[in-house]
Amino acid sequence: MKPAAATALSSAAPPTRSGMRLALGGLLLAAALNAHHTAWWCLPVLAAASIWHLRVNLRLTRLPPRLVRVAIALLLTAGVLLSFRTLNGLEAGATLLTAMIAAKLIETRATRDWYVILGAALFLLLAACLDRQQLWRLPCYALTLWLCAGALRGLDGGSNQAPMVLLRGAGRQLLLALPLALLLFIFFPRLSGAFWALPSGETAITGLGDEMSPGDISRLVESDEPALRARFSGSLPPVALRYWRGPVLHDFDGHTWRRLRGQMAGMPELNYRGPAYHYTATIEPNAHGTVLALELASPGDLPSVIFTGDYQLLAAHPISQAQSYELDSYPQATSNAGLSTPMRRIDLALPANRNPRTQSLATALRASASGDTAFVDLAMAYLRDGGFEYTLTPQRLGRDSVDDLLFATHQGFCAHYASAFVTLMRAGGVPARVVTGYLGGEWNHFGGYLIVRQSDAHAWAEVWLADRGWVRTDPTAVVAPERLTRGRYDFAGSGAGSSARLLRAPWLSNVLQGWDALNAWWQDQVVGFNFRRQLDLARWLGFADRDWQVLTAALGAGLIGWMLWMSWTLRHVLRRARPDALARAWGRIDARLRRAGLARAAYEGVVAHAQRLARTSPALAETLLPLANQYSQLRYGSPGSPEELRALLSAARKFRVPRPRP
Amino acid sequence: MLRARLLERAAAWARRRQGEDVPPLVLQARRLYILPTRAGVAFSVLLFVMLVAGLNYTNSLALLLTFTLVGFMLVGMYECQRTLQGLELTQAWALDSHAGSTGLIELRLANGRSASRRALSVRCRDTPGTRFDIAAGATGSVQLFYRATRRGRVSIDRLELATTAPFGLFRAWTWLHLPLTAIVYPRPEGQRALPRSGAHASVQTAPIAGSDEEEWSSLRAFNQGDNPHRIAWKVYARGGALMVGQYAGSGGDEHLLSFSGLEDLGLEARLSQLAAWALECAERGAACGLQLPACQLPLGRGAAHQANLQRALALYGEAAL
Repeated sequence: MKPAAATALSSAAPPTRSGMRLALGGLLLAAALNAHHTAWWCLPVLAAASIWHLRVNLRLTRLPPRLVRVAIALLLTAGVLLSFRTLNGLEAGATLLTAMIAAKLIETRATRDWYVILGAALFLLLAACLDRQQLWRLPCYALTLWLCAGALRGLDGGSNQAPMVLLRGAGRQLLLALPLALLLFIFFPRLSGAFWALPSGETAITGLGDEMSPGDISRLVESDEPALRARFSGSLPPVALRYWRGPVLHDFDGHTWRRLRGQMAGMPELNYRGPAYHYTATIEPNAHGTVLALELASPGDLPSVIFTGDYQLLAAHPISQAQSYELDSYPQATSNAGLSTPMRRIDLALPANRNPRTQSLATALRASASGDTAFVDLAMAYLRDGGFEYTLTPQRLGRDSVDDLLFATHQGFCAHYASAFVTLMRAGGVPARVVTGYLGGEWNHFGGYLIVRQSDAHAWAEVWLADRGWVRTDPTAVVAPERLTRGRYDFAGSGAGSSARLLRAPWLSNVLQGWDALNAWWQDQVVGFNFRRQLDLARWLGFADRDWQVLTAALGAGLIGWMLWMSWTLRHVLRRARPDALARAWGRIDARLRRAGLARAAYEGVVAHAQRLARTSPALAETLLPLANQYSQLRYGSPGSPEELRALLSAARKFRVPRPRP
Repeated sequence: MLRARLLERAAAWARRRQGEDVPPLVLQARRLYILPTRAGVAFSVLLFVMLVAGLNYTNSLALLLTFTLVGFMLVGMYECQRTLQGLELTQAWALDSHAGSTGLIELRLANGRSASRRALSVRCRDTPGTRFDIAAGATGSVQLFYRATRRGRVSIDRLELATTAPFGLFRAWTWLHLPLTAIVYPRPEGQRALPRSGAHASVQTAPIAGSDEEEWSSLRAFNQGDNPHRIAWKVYARGGALMVGQYAGSGGDEHLLSFSGLEDLGLEARLSQLAAWALECAERGAACGLQLPACQLPLGRGAAHQANLQRALALYGEAAL
């Protein structure tokens, strides 16, 4: 037993040193997990406050006066307002919380303050969870939770313990909690909608955007982040048909292609024919709000998706989390409606006084072509035979970006050629538009789905031909035909370093595919588990639709089951100390004496008992007393040899209470 | 205040329910009570907010975090209760004390299980309690205090043994109703000088609390209960035994303390004065006796004699048991 110190119990015990250390670690880690969306100064301020706190705690610095602390808090709040212009929303909220805790940390002393700090750390962890749910973050979140749980055990849980002991206890506690967490996760009733929406700021997500400025990009960053995953029921589309349609760009100012302001009216009038592909596409969060679908999707039963006249699928809400859509696509579908006059005007518009050489080239080609189709073919032939080079690191283009490409640099990637081709078409009087999206998709044989990555991003053109409607024309296909059929790392050519070659190693590709399949499973089964999926699961388990009574009963039964399991497991951990062999042996002797009516009193030691009995019974004096002396020697004297112990144990086994002589 | 009244009610109910406890006793589950602490309530509110946020944004990870913390809290609640359950109280006793001071209660506890029991505390009514931990398989004693307010026989009807292990969000406790009685001596106070041999006149032979080692005439071996002011620390520091200083002539001093000589004081003030004198005699190592209307104690010395004397003063006017 630890020395008993008399302290006032009205307040909680002072926090232990290990508890404070773990709490500080948990807080810093939680703040670091929010670093991507909080203000840049947040983490340095918190780190500085931690150091200040430690110095105050070690009595190296005096606690600053109250006025200074209030001033610091006000200053930090002003900083948040300056950075975000609001205190609302996840980013500003997380920043404000971090800043306030930094201010609080300086004056933190009592256990109560540490509970506040830990509450804030858990709230920051929640903010991180609300913002990012990728699988690789899971271990980071778990580690933070573990640290916070360990810190909790060090606040008001008795005298100081080593951090590892705290963490071991917290780990056991968390592991025991895990089955309940899973049970509640699956069966706790979810909401079908939201009470309120989270005001979200501008999300910068790599990949496709709302606009395209080919001239500005001098180096295309290759990102392996997934853009979407598609699970086909039935056959896969051939490689050359894997065009995933994204934002359609109509508006060109000579430099940048943009989407139309306002939505394109009307459902697409398409003639769906040819083979159909049925699949579920899981779209990763994106900035352009388009549901990427294989060309051309049919408007099925999708409540939160808007179909536009230029065949885009716009999500009704921003896609800030990965979402799944069930889609049907008909690659051979054709449009059967005419082109309206306003649309024709939009898709023929070119900025005045820009790209004059391209304009004259278009006029020349147009003059030598017999019709629209021939003009398209001539333009494609020009790109094929004009000595153009496909590269991911092209030179920058000037004000007349198309002129520069066609007559000066001769190098670019898909966006450059799509832009140039559409400009040529419009200059020649053929309505045309740029379509952005993805081309390709890699088969993941672990997960059984097609994965499309950000590096598969592509841009192509569509031209309006009076007899065929909108026709996809991909100028990149004639400049670099291998882009369509080969793997995406092949065309990088000599520019690609050893990393690209390494990626072709089969074992590594297996590992990467396995990791991606795991991510897909996480995204589909865990992150995407919602109200609808819960109903599906309940139905699959045999509960009728909306039969919440049964579901609640099942939840209650699970809860009781968990309680029983948890208490049984903990009881095992906290079991009674097993007495050692010596105590067990003497327990047997005691039991025999008790049965003979010679029980040992509560105040008696073994030897005193034996001495008392020996005074009345000479027989016991001969047998019991030497045993008791031996026992006390082994128990309290210098450590005896194993032989001595064994001898005593066997003698204790043989001990019988002698019958009293008449 | 409402909280205090409710607690008092609950305690009275528990007293009726549990009856008197006689050590040795093992704490059983049916006598353990548990409630969340203030931090526990705040933590529950936090969890609720997290749950609403997770549900609103249908954010699986936030919900998983919340549910894990719910389980974490429940496991902790169970651990909290198990910290007390099975704890063995083998002995309990209370020591006498003077009114106006605090008296000592000692409990002997045994932890029979293979894990330590932590963040335990024990207290008597409104006194500051004592915090302690018990290691796995350990036995030990813990001391706490009771407030001695009034002279006479007191019975300590209720002790509270509690724990906040493992994380301070829950507090489990039990009320112990042990047959603990102690005698509270009169408050030792009074201005009058020590009388000599029954007379009111006093002869100052030495300063009262003299630790002035020069004035000691001899040393004797330290006995339990000797005044710590009179330990000869210099001797001890030189590596000698623990010795106590004696004043010249103190062996021969005799004081008969009489109740009848203090008619001008009230009853309690009289008893206080007598108690103070008795302590002063013990301090000086002088022999003293006591004359009360009901009983007479002959001259004597030593801790046992002093205790008898004080006890007689404490129980003056009460029925002797």
